[in-house]
Amino acid sequence: MKLSRPLKTLAAATMLIAASTSASIAEFPERTVELIHPWGPGNAMSVSQLIAKAMGEELGVDMPVISTPGAAGTKGQKTAMSRPADGYTVFDGYVAPLVLQPVLGNADWTYSDFKPLHSAVSNAFAIGGRTDETRWSNFEEMMEYGREHPGELRYSSGSRNNLPHMVIAKVLQSYGVVAQNIPYTQDGNAVKDLKSGVLDFSFINVGNYIQDKPAFNIMLVLSELPGAKASYDGAPSIADLDIDLGLSGLAPMGWTWWIVHKDTPDEVTGKLRAAMDAAMQRPDVREAIEKVGFVPLDWDHTQYDEVVGPVSDQLSAMGNALKWEEDELKKLR
Amino acid sequence: MTSRTLTLMVTVFFAIIVAIVFQQIHTSMQEQGIASGGPYDNAAAYPRAVALAIAVLVIVQILIEFGTGQRERIVVDPHGFKRAVGLLAVFAIYLGCLGWLGYHLTTTPMVFAIMIICGARQFGKMLLAALIMSFGFAFIFEKFLNVVLPGGVLSLNIPW
Amino acid sequence: MLFESLLAGFQLFLTPLAIGLTFIGILIGLLVGAMPGLGPLMGIILLLPVAIGLPPVAAMGFLIAIFVGGSCGGSISAILLRIPGTPLAAATLFDGYPMAQKGRAADAIGIAISASAIGGLIGGAVLIVASPLLARFASGFAPPEYAMLAVTGLFAIAIISGGSLIKGLVSGCFGLLLATIGTDEFSTGYRFTFGSHHMLNGFHIVAVVVGLFAISEMVHQIVGDDLLKKPDIKVERPGFGSLLTTMRHWVNLLRSSGIGVFFGALPGAGGVISSFSAYAIAKAAAKPDERYGEGAEGGVVATESANNATVGGTLVPTLALGIPGDASSAMLLGALLILGFVPGPILFEQEPQFVGGIFLVYMASNVFLLIAGILATPFFVYVLRIPKFYLIPIILILCSIGTFALQASVFDLMVMFGFGLVGILFRAANYPLAPIVIGIILGPILENNLRRALLISREGYWIFLDRPVSATLVCVNVLLLTGALYFAFRNRKRLFSRQES
Repeated sequence: MKLSRPLKTLAAATMLIAASTSASIAEFPERTVELIHPWGPGNAMSVSQLIAKAMGEELGVDMPVISTPGAAGTKGQKTAMSRPADGYTVFDGYVAPLVLQPVLGNADWTYSDFKPLHSAVSNAFAIGGRTDETRWSNFEEMMEYGREHPGELRYSSGSRNNLPHMVIAKVLQSYGVVAQNIPYTQDGNAVKDLKSGVLDFSFINVGNYIQDKPAFNIMLVLSELPGAKASYDGAPSIADLDIDLGLSGLAPMGWTWWIVHKDTPDEVTGKLRAAMDAAMQRPDVREAIEKVGFVPLDWDHTQYDEVVGPVSDQLSAMGNALKWEEDELKKLR
Repeated sequence: MTSRTLTLMVTVFFAIIVAIVFQQIHTSMQEQGIASGGPYDNAAAYPRAVALAIAVLVIVQILIEFGTGQRERIVVDPHGFKRAVGLLAVFAIYLGCLGWLGYHLTTTPMVFAIMIICGARQFGKMLLAALIMSFGFAFIFEKFLNVVLPGGVLSLNIPW
Repeated sequence: MLFESLLAGFQLFLTPLAIGLTFIGILIGLLVGAMPGLGPLMGIILLLPVAIGLPPVAAMGFLIAIFVGGSCGGSISAILLRIPGTPLAAATLFDGYPMAQKGRAADAIGIAISASAIGGLIGGAVLIVASPLLARFASGFAPPEYAMLAVTGLFAIAIISGGSLIKGLVSGCFGLLLATIGTDEFSTGYRFTFGSHHMLNGFHIVAVVVGLFAISEMVHQIVGDDLLKKPDIKVERPGFGSLLTTMRHWVNLLRSSGIGVFFGALPGAGGVISSFSAYAIAKAAAKPDERYGEGAEGGVVATESANNATVGGTLVPTLALGIPGDASSAMLLGALLILGFVPGPILFEQEPQFVGGIFLVYMASNVFLLIAGILATPFFVYVLRIPKFYLIPIILILCSIGTFALQASVFDLMVMFGFGLVGILFRAANYPLAPIVIGIILGPILENNLRRALLISREGYWIFLDRPVSATLVCVNVLLLTGALYFAFRNRKRLFSRQES
């Protein structure tokens, strides 16, 4: 085989490039760092993209967000865990795969199996109905209706066994109300069917609420934090109920804390932490997050155990709410 | 090869698919407790219905084909067939090695091999074309689309 | 409301990236359309991985432009090589090739491009007016209606996709079955995952479709023996004057575009049927001295305006209901889902600016088609001369990187290869591939809404007959199936009696 001269030069150049790149990791990061996001595209992913973009700017490399939805977030978590622990993979540690699934016995890890970076965002949600509802006007009345008509109420928490489902089931259990959850793949469809009268009530996040405030009667904000109540224009919250649900702080909310593999070198983790700390403090980032209806969080890696630990304990304590709902529904059939 | 052989192959394919569906329903889904109950809990009813539909339709199709007694001969050019098998073999080896050796070490040889299978023999020109193709696409995808191509065990990644 | 959404759409569309990509999309579309065997669906499939990393309107502009360009590009090779680059252009051959033989190749291409662009714009006008109306009508649709619509879409494509009804239905059901792999939304259990975390969310649709269509097509191509051949064709340069020539056939243009939009909006019908119907009607309506079949301009005008108007028509149910009309629009729908937009009434309500942006990229791509088509034709003619032994490896690299880029997974590559083998088997045994794509897209819509409807219902299956729209759709589905069975049975009988005699 005869090679022409330009071809030889090309081949030589290629080998040179190849040789120079195969050298050991000189300075982290030397290529793109990926964020594994456990949900499909939507508000949550946009928020993660916002933070990833800012963090990438701090690191000096691009930080694409890879959406890996499935199995209540477990697929993303497992995908991220199967990657090498070199710091080039960051996990978007949402509460469902990080804490709730292990509590429900659907995962073989716990939150303490990872190294935390900075806490990212939280979002509170609420139980909402229609404004033209004639059967009840507030949460207590709806619960009374539900007790009189067991198994009749239809609601949606988005998907089954997610955090809103767990919290709503807990609330219903406290009132002794059995209702049927209807899973929806897209939150938008649940809201649409609530509006058109197919569903009796539904979980509403701040984003849904902001888009069409007059359509919803927000009956119960599922957080005792004053900020959450304010984002629903002062609607009643679980702090106003006569009964104690045993939920506080982050426990009844959706949130994410970015994490990395436990075996990631300390030096690399340090760089990632510094970049994320800086990104989360940027006013433009915080403003953009708040615009979507999410709340930027301020805890850094040192507070991980003290914040996430109680959430895990509270979720474990209410673990039987979902089981209770299933059993009661089966009895009614 | 006759059209009847092909019908047989397709039938075997669908038979395997339907068998897998039922096997999974009776093992994995039963263990998970999702093979019975109402629409909220029963995840098996729908795939079972679709699999049964496939089975019925394929059986009807066989009856029709064998009923008409047609038996067309399908002529396959033996050289063409060899090329097709060659392409699939090269491509399978390429995909198998991609994760292990990385994109940059495997793509040029794959392109080169496919060209040889096609019958091209101007090796210099082909090598140049293969290099331009593989590195050109790598450049576009890595530079503009933020894709991290597989680096393989040697972590070969070009920081463009 | 309409103007507001278009106006808001302008902000999204008027970015260098969106305009530039729409233009590039047209070029790529013309290219894949012109190259025999590829076509708009393949173009969309191969470039989907590129698009999903882009801002949404730019991404959709890119893909829709490929659809638009690809629906026209086939005419170039039909006219010059007598090989329709896509089945869409098969009817263009009747008069386009005779025109070329008479030395009017440049005119024929110019007319084909102008007619495509104008047909596309007419289709766009219908899209912009009709889809918001349909979306508003559908805003009261609940799970029972969506379940029945999914059945309609599936029946329609299986019946019309060509070939045997039974094979079409089997392919569709195979798609439905593929869609069940992964986590079940209702029971949260795992189906057909075999304990692998890769399969928790099923196979990635792009990996499946790239394998089914692109890999099997490359194998099909390499079986042929013209791998090293450079087609010998003269470079032709059409002029903008052909726009005027085309405009002279305005009655034909309007009629054929109308036919195109109508067939486009019907699920399953698509461009091939509309271009043949438009040609037949134009021929019937023509004066005897026009000499259809011997190089009549009207023949090219009819087929090309019809098949591009179809694109606008197909987007109506795709955007307004989330029910795709054909395999290409099913892939566009898949892209929309990956980009985070769920087509349907909610999209029109909540993202009017995005819908406006889609309308604009569609209109713009037809304008670009005219400009790029006329100026760049010599380039496409040159590309037609690239021998296949270069083309095949290029497409294989594109398949591999594209599929890998989806989620940086080697597993997806294996899936792609596996479905390549399945595609080869299906092609060989004459099972249509398009219903598989429709089945994969409609599968979750069908199953989830069916189960949702049954959960909501307090009296079982009666919910489908209690609601007027859903009851109507049930009737339509029953009619579709009995009608198809009746015709299939009648043909069968005829075949038997012919054999006996």
